[in-house]
Amino acid sequence: MTVDRTKLATERVIGVAALVVAVLAPTLFSAFWLNSILTQALILGIGAASLIFLSAYGGMISLAQTGLMGIAGYALANMVTQRVPGGETKGLLLGWDPTVGLVAAILLTVGIGLVFGAVASRSYGIYFLMLTLTYTVIAFLFVGSVTLIGGFSPVAGVDTYTPGFIGDIVTDRERLYYITLITAVFVYLLVRYLVRTPFGVSLQGIRDEPVRMASLGYNVALHRTIAFGIGAFIAALAGVLSAWWFGQLSPTTMGLDATIQMLVIAVIGGLRRIEGAWLGAIAFLMINNEITNRIPSSGLPVIGGTFNTVIGFIFLAIVIVSPDGLMGLWDRMWDALRRRGGPPHAEPEGGEPAAVASS
Amino acid sequence: MKVGKWKLLLPLALLAVGATIGTSGALATPAQANEVRFAIMTDCKGAFAFGYEVDTAGTIAALSQYAGAKPKNKKKPSAGMTGGSAGGKRLNLVGIGCGDETPALALKETRRLMVQLRADIMLGPLSGDEAVSIAQWARQNPAKTVIIGTAGSQDPTMQIAPKNLFRYHGDGAQWNAGLGEIVYKRLGWRTAALIGDDYSFPWTSAAGIIADFCGIGGRITKRVWTPPAGGDYAPFIRQLPRPNQVDGYFWLVGGANTSAALTAFEQAYGPLNARQHSGNLFLYFLGANTTVAPRLVGAYMGGFGTFQTGGLKNAQARNYVRNASRWFTGQNVNDGFFYNYWNAAWAMVQGLNKSKGAVGPALQRALPRSLKPGFQVANKGVLRLDSRRQAIQDQYPLQITRASGEGTVSTSIVGYVPNVDQTFGGYFGPNKPAPGRNYPPCVKRKLPWQGKIKVVKNGVITNQVIK
Amino acid sequence: MTEAAPAVEHAEPTLRLRGVGRRFGGLLAVDEVDLDVVHGERRAILGPNGAGKTTLFNVICGDLSASTGTVEIFGEDVTKKPARYRAKMGLARTYQQSRLFDGLTVEDSIYLAIVGVEGGRLRPVLVPGKEREIRERAREAAGRVAISHKLGEMVGSLSHGEHRQVAIAMALAAEPKALMLDEPASGLSRGERQLLTELLLGLDRDITLILIEHDMDIALRVAESVTMMHDGRVIVEGTPDEIRANETVHDLYLGRGYGHE
Repeated sequence: MTVDRTKLATERVIGVAALVVAVLAPTLFSAFWLNSILTQALILGIGAASLIFLSAYGGMISLAQTGLMGIAGYALANMVTQRVPGGETKGLLLGWDPTVGLVAAILLTVGIGLVFGAVASRSYGIYFLMLTLTYTVIAFLFVGSVTLIGGFSPVAGVDTYTPGFIGDIVTDRERLYYITLITAVFVYLLVRYLVRTPFGVSLQGIRDEPVRMASLGYNVALHRTIAFGIGAFIAALAGVLSAWWFGQLSPTTMGLDATIQMLVIAVIGGLRRIEGAWLGAIAFLMINNEITNRIPSSGLPVIGGTFNTVIGFIFLAIVIVSPDGLMGLWDRMWDALRRRGGPPHAEPEGGEPAAVASS
Repeated sequence: MKVGKWKLLLPLALLAVGATIGTSGALATPAQANEVRFAIMTDCKGAFAFGYEVDTAGTIAALSQYAGAKPKNKKKPSAGMTGGSAGGKRLNLVGIGCGDETPALALKETRRLMVQLRADIMLGPLSGDEAVSIAQWARQNPAKTVIIGTAGSQDPTMQIAPKNLFRYHGDGAQWNAGLGEIVYKRLGWRTAALIGDDYSFPWTSAAGIIADFCGIGGRITKRVWTPPAGGDYAPFIRQLPRPNQVDGYFWLVGGANTSAALTAFEQAYGPLNARQHSGNLFLYFLGANTTVAPRLVGAYMGGFGTFQTGGLKNAQARNYVRNASRWFTGQNVNDGFFYNYWNAAWAMVQGLNKSKGAVGPALQRALPRSLKPGFQVANKGVLRLDSRRQAIQDQYPLQITRASGEGTVSTSIVGYVPNVDQTFGGYFGPNKPAPGRNYPPCVKRKLPWQGKIKVVKNGVITNQVIK
Repeated sequence: MTEAAPAVEHAEPTLRLRGVGRRFGGLLAVDEVDLDVVHGERRAILGPNGAGKTTLFNVICGDLSASTGTVEIFGEDVTKKPARYRAKMGLARTYQQSRLFDGLTVEDSIYLAIVGVEGGRLRPVLVPGKEREIRERAREAAGRVAISHKLGEMVGSLSHGEHRQVAIAMALAAEPKALMLDEPASGLSRGERQLLTELLLGLDRDITLILIEHDMDIALRVAESVTMMHDGRVIVEGTPDEIRANETVHDLYLGRGYGHE
């Protein structure tokens, strides 16, 4: 098992190094990079983490996560923005206390997530995928159609009304970055911890063999519903951060494009390991940013085409070479090392945290 | 080894290369003191994708005319420009933003242009919701300056109105001033229904139409809003009253969807009767349509305060057309998209000249509070900004006419509404809600220009008023 | 051959089926089955492929609902109760195709079997004392089926024989009152079969054992009573000796099926 030990050690070193770089990022990177690439990558990573949590440990590939993010953002925006001259023009403008609004928005999202989860809890595979896509479409159409809470025009100013402990994130973008970083680390640790608990191990059992789990005494549907609720909680965190980062909410943030983008991020990172969420997000944003800036100023009407084509090719390449994304590539590299050096026996894919827990 | 070496190494190598390229952009490059960085924000996707070349053409043409720039390619405006200076500093066009009329992408592009590419001035955006989004952004970034391109939502310069945001053209309401009165008087409309895209620009356009039409005594019996993404219009058309139940319809459905919506109407209620239909500048998009468009010949519509054929015959207009036409081939300089970006760029040059190239608050103080654009007649051809940096402009209601091309249509100017201000003489205001699905209400009210709209014949403003 | 003595005197029924049927569309997989298994009994259910044995198992454990009839376990009518309810009453089973958790370790798999009946299934926190106790029990169960050396391995990477061991360990770890094994010996080597037989013979007499098995050697050594099924129906019931002597059984099954695999 020496290869596994080395792998674990290497991953720890990389993890600590990444954390150190992340903490020092404001001194290392330009303001644009910090705000537009790193902060956004952390936020999208949290969103993708909610997707990967469900897929890696629950076997549920959910397209509802962008919808849930949007619900959290819209809830927050409607609750906290105020009716003042020279202020916002769209939404309910309830003007609640921002802390109350924050908690209420997250609770509402989790509540809706639980209802969504309960309805989808008996569906598997493609049916689950389609059902969760429907949720996002419903959320999109709802906020688009109900102009009282938004409509297709942007609901703005959500970043102005933050709770006291969050502070001013409009001018102090480093602050927002650190808040996002702390949330991302929290989500990562939360998922790593959860999957070792009885609930988490059971969820993985349900992922592998739901029928067997039922005959072992588990309420499979309830388990999946609660897992979906936890996914909704993580998505809500991402949604709130995204609302703060964007400062405005519009339905397109939960449109089909955004939903596919989230799936692409998760697939690029790897649907089997939670780390893949952030790896996929940063890879996606870097590719996105490079391509947008590198278009020859003459080649326009294809600009969208260019980006989508390139991201499409990269996506295709990754899926063909490594169906489990970049994290899968990493795991396979170690598998190859193991086959060369270690005793010849098949190793499972992916260092599941559960394995770490029991070793 | 089951997995070929290349299968592992190749992606890793690609990844390494990608990461290197990617992070290279992370390091800040020093700003140059002798240049002014500005950007164009427009659309290259969605219903207004055509705006990309037109808007860029308007901007670069103005900079060529007034700041010594040169288009790189006379046939392709988006190729960019060379040279150009204002206030003693070199003009550096750092990028052209590519939106798709959604606020989210507009904001993202704004950040890319203004933060990553460090532009200090932005000319744009093109569309209404984008402008709402960008106005909010501008409010939080007072050191940057935004001059709106062609976006016609009311909120940016009314309810939001940040000090660093300027608009040298009207909003959607101003662009429809007089239309309601014309259909009331000339076509005898007393009741009408309206149908439009469900976002801020059509809402603002509707607000102008409602203010005028209801102001003189008409009644709006139904307002139908359709998702801006387009799609199937049949269910929305069915929500409209039947042609025998109202005197007419106002159309505010935009872009490529204009003809789709009208076609759906024909399928439901039979061929269009030009005397029963009117709409905002979105009817421009019927130009090349040869099926439903010819049936609308004779219909009245709003506009940008510009026109296509039969334009104004005066020295200021002729002068503009001559100057603007010099720089690109195949551009219609009467087009509101071109005209409005031209004026925005021209204002920027004047502001920079006055501020001696300084940007930020200095530029915002220096930007002109009045301009002499091609199609302004009132105040001796001087267009003024109000206290919220919003243009008070002349408006020209249009009529759809036959064009030279087989079955195609154009527009000609039929009326002149001088000095239309954004509040419609106090009907709208910064402390009133922005136009929405049901706002403003339909009420009878005296507007400043009521009963004073002048007839325009063959491009000449007559002393006759429209009856 | 060790003939197990019918040790249990009090005939408290562990399992009582009355008129149980299960229909799949037009196919009647199980038809009017009556079955009584008493506490501590070792019962083998035999029959050719397609006789309805596994379907009967699925109906008993609740994976499938009964189309007709009633299922009672431990004296309670559970016909309408879900599988998880029956599991918690102390009914454990294995599957013909192992249905194991490929992405979990052996230890975690057995751990799940214990947590499933112990409670705390939804607990999202680790309680150290409780964890230690359950993990200890899991390791002990692994020891009973001699799979301790693979505790940390992913189930998906194990051999077929090891899968069987894990499945039985999981069933045992839950400390069931009744254990249903669906062809536990299929695919096992000679040595592994020997181990399995010993394990089954050594089971606590308090555990009722119901067994589907094609290996007649194992089935008849372990079982005290045998139920023969054919075409969804019970055709014969009796002791192993009676079954061996039964003509119908020979015709139907032993003649063809004996020692196959």
